[in-house]
Amino acid sequence: MTVSTQNVRGLEDRANTQGSGALPSIEYDLIRAHVFASLVTLVISALFGILVATKFTFPDFLGGHAWLTWGRLRYNHTQGIFFGWLGNAFLAFFYYVVPRLANRPVLSRALGWFLFVVWNFAVVLPGWVLVAAGFSQPLEWAEFPLVVDAFVVLAFVLMVFEFVLPILKARLSDLYVSGWYIIGGIIFTMLAYPVGNFIPELVPGARGAAFSGLWIHDAVGLFVTPFAVAIAYYVIPATTHRPIFSHFLSMVGFWLLFFIYPLNGTHHYVYSAIPMSAQKGAIVASAYLGMDVILVVTNLLLSLRGNSGTASKDVPLRFVWFGVIAYLVVSLQGSVQALMPVNRFIHFTDWVIGHSHLAMIGFGSFVALGGIAHMWQRIPGTRYNERMTNWSFWFLAVGLTLMVADLTIAGLVEAQVWQSSSPWIDSVRAVESYWLVRTLSGLPILAGFLLFWTSLVTGPKRTLVITSAASRVASADPAEFENVAPVSVRSRSTSWLSYAHVVAFGAGVGFFALSFIVLAIIPGKQLEREIKQAAPVTMASLTASEQRGRIIYGREGCAYCHTQQIRFLEADVRRFGPPTEAWETKYDYPQLWGTRRIGPDLSREFNLRSRDWQLTHLYNPRLVVQDSVMPPYPWLFDGGPNQPTQEGLDVLAYLQSLGRARQLSGFDRQRLASSAEPEALDMAPSTEPLARATPPAVPIAMVGGYSLSAPVLHPEADQDGLQEEVSRGGALFDANCASCHGSAGRGDGKASASLLPKPANLTAAHFSDERLSSVLWNGIAGSAMPPWRQLPTEDLRALIAYIQSLNAPRATPRMQEAAGLGKTLFAAACASCHGATGEGNGPAAGAVAPAPTNFHLKKPTEERAWDVLENGVQGTAMPPWRNQLNADERHALVEFVRSLYDPAQESEGR
Amino acid sequence: MINLIVVLTTAVMFALLLVWWRWPVFRLWIEAPKYSMLRQESRFNDPDTERESATNLSSIDTSISEHPQVSGD
Repeated sequence: MTVSTQNVRGLEDRANTQGSGALPSIEYDLIRAHVFASLVTLVISALFGILVATKFTFPDFLGGHAWLTWGRLRYNHTQGIFFGWLGNAFLAFFYYVVPRLANRPVLSRALGWFLFVVWNFAVVLPGWVLVAAGFSQPLEWAEFPLVVDAFVVLAFVLMVFEFVLPILKARLSDLYVSGWYIIGGIIFTMLAYPVGNFIPELVPGARGAAFSGLWIHDAVGLFVTPFAVAIAYYVIPATTHRPIFSHFLSMVGFWLLFFIYPLNGTHHYVYSAIPMSAQKGAIVASAYLGMDVILVVTNLLLSLRGNSGTASKDVPLRFVWFGVIAYLVVSLQGSVQALMPVNRFIHFTDWVIGHSHLAMIGFGSFVALGGIAHMWQRIPGTRYNERMTNWSFWFLAVGLTLMVADLTIAGLVEAQVWQSSSPWIDSVRAVESYWLVRTLSGLPILAGFLLFWTSLVTGPKRTLVITSAASRVASADPAEFENVAPVSVRSRSTSWLSYAHVVAFGAGVGFFALSFIVLAIIPGKQLEREIKQAAPVTMASLTASEQRGRIIYGREGCAYCHTQQIRFLEADVRRFGPPTEAWETKYDYPQLWGTRRIGPDLSREFNLRSRDWQLTHLYNPRLVVQDSVMPPYPWLFDGGPNQPTQEGLDVLAYLQSLGRARQLSGFDRQRLASSAEPEALDMAPSTEPLARATPPAVPIAMVGGYSLSAPVLHPEADQDGLQEEVSRGGALFDANCASCHGSAGRGDGKASASLLPKPANLTAAHFSDERLSSVLWNGIAGSAMPPWRQLPTEDLRALIAYIQSLNAPRATPRMQEAAGLGKTLFAAACASCHGATGEGNGPAAGAVAPAPTNFHLKKPTEERAWDVLENGVQGTAMPPWRNQLNADERHALVEFVRSLYDPAQESEGR
Repeated sequence: MINLIVVLTTAVMFALLLVWWRWPVFRLWIEAPKYSMLRQESRFNDPDTERESATNLSSIDTSISEHPQVSGD
């Protein structure tokens, strides 16, 4: 088939109409204003990012000020990059390119200034201030509060008038692909933004998460990507003076992007309670998206064919080229990490943070910087320092490469630890050095941004609009395209093509609507049915205090380190408990599932930790978890961890409500009862990891702190082996126990001041192997002592050896009968709790927590026993007896309880 | 639903490829904007080109132009 001469001649008419007449004016002042605003907000946002990164290594850095806490800075970092930096950069580019593409000016200069004010002084600035002051929305890419969201929507409506209307006035069939991306980006973001920002406030939990997932992806896919690709498609031909390789492929890429991107959203919640059909749909769409990006990038790179010299000499073009390559890498990475075998491993880790930075800096920012530098050279009256821009490129390229490589490896390390049964804090310790490198890698990036800014205000002043020298050298003869090209369709046989774009636009809107139907509305209906069937009738909503605590939890960014979403994965269930089901989230407005785990999942906090542990941890996490990187929250207290403000109590109430409905439902007990597999009772190697890490199916607090499944671990019998164990146990004790028990084990650690009952003085008693095994396995209900069963068996054994070494004289087996008086007194005063034989199993034992001491397994020193009888034990049911018993009687009791110790079982065990 | 997404997307892509392959005029038509973009760029970079100041609302024709360039021969 050949093209008829008639057609080709007819097509020429169209081209000639666009290329004639006076040029529309360009709003250079608005370009300068938006470029300036973009660079100011870029540097501020980058500083926020560096502070956030620094706090991973120095968590107490600026930790005393609520406005500078990690969570609020994290919100402002991402929102600043999104709205402040990229938003302003894209707007500057629109003012430059829309008059070129539409052959008419933007709608109104006054409207432009109004938009500038709205964007910067009703969105970015108040958004930052409100977030810092504690008014925010704990939703990814939607952190600015609702009042700001209203102005964002207004701004997008203004953009439709300012930019889309002039483009639509041009003939759409003449519209270059960059114009299509601008139209698509503005309109689809305007539609998608309310979905991610408003709907999760109205639709709770898992159903709301389905909508949140859409926006998380659309923020990048419908805002950053289209506008960045528009810049790339413009800067490449404008610099090389050659047309792009294929406008057909560019349009195929454009429509595929808008068809497919919205369908990706749910891949952020793979293995969640959201129906699997929606998850799989998103995964398939992610694979398609990868193919689309290959198409787009191939077209862009082919457009640079024969211009490698230009790309290396022209710095703005090099920025764009780098961005295009990063676009390919990050998109293929995204497609791969949506696949279930990969997602189960790397999701929630720093790998994803590396992916985000590659997208937002490597792709979005590099292309935007290239676009700014390109147009800056063509704006009259500006200065431009190419040497500085070149330095900026290299600083940014090196810093970003280091950051992404570092975070990617850190993610793999975290994932590896999470798959094991090691304590959570081990994953934090494992990546500490990576976090330091990440912080350092931010410095060249910040320097690159500053150099770029400097490059726009130094150098020779441009008085005329020019094209860069490099471009002129590399460009082809303009006549090449003048002679070949512009053609128009004026034949009857091709007239329908005029409507092709309208049809395609309709299809785009259709796919956009399809994404909401397929990924949000249908799964939402399914979840609604599931919730109705599964939720207990008696499921209580949050109390007023818990509700307030939830708001504080959101404003401090807790959901950005702690998920409330146990995935349907063995590693998750083993570590945190039963997977999160949709009905558990029926009162969560908005959902707080989270997309990242720096700390552990909190879905099962109910009955897991004592109140004083939680408060101490909130006041200063390192008081109870030495290597924690969690920020302190001293503004929730009046000077100390045992003086919480009402806000502190509210957060505590909320934390202790997490998982309450699940535990009280009894579902997991029923499942356990009906399970054919009994709980592992021994430490046989084959079942060891599972047994060790599985949280108790029945909450410890509800069974008095004892579990029959606790194995009895015995330290080495021979002296050499024992010495080695004691030595290793000492190191483990320092890392895990010393913050409460003190470095010498005297119960005087940093946290001891605010814990009640006080951490045990481990030097004041000898503990049997059985007792220590039970405590390490189960923790002590009613106290701050948590279970440590995640530790490897050999570590638990070493800890037992070390703790026993703290009380040097080992007790001998009972050799004498207890004094008659002591025995009588014990039966009268103590047996109701401690049991007739002193085994801690008296009739009242089940009702008190911590459980009464079993004197067969713990032999207190004389001093300790005397002190307890004199003063009782604060925070427990043990009262003082000095007013009821005289000194002789108390001495008799001390002798009696010490005589009960019977380590015979240990000897047998060895 | 997954099948629907796959089938729809694949069908759209194949339809576009078919049109492109069977109809050379379509190729010319779809490729035209990449040339007009360059022409515009060269006009804007020419310092001698007259500039039109039209940044107030009253100077702009606010009616949406009809779909263009379609005329039977």
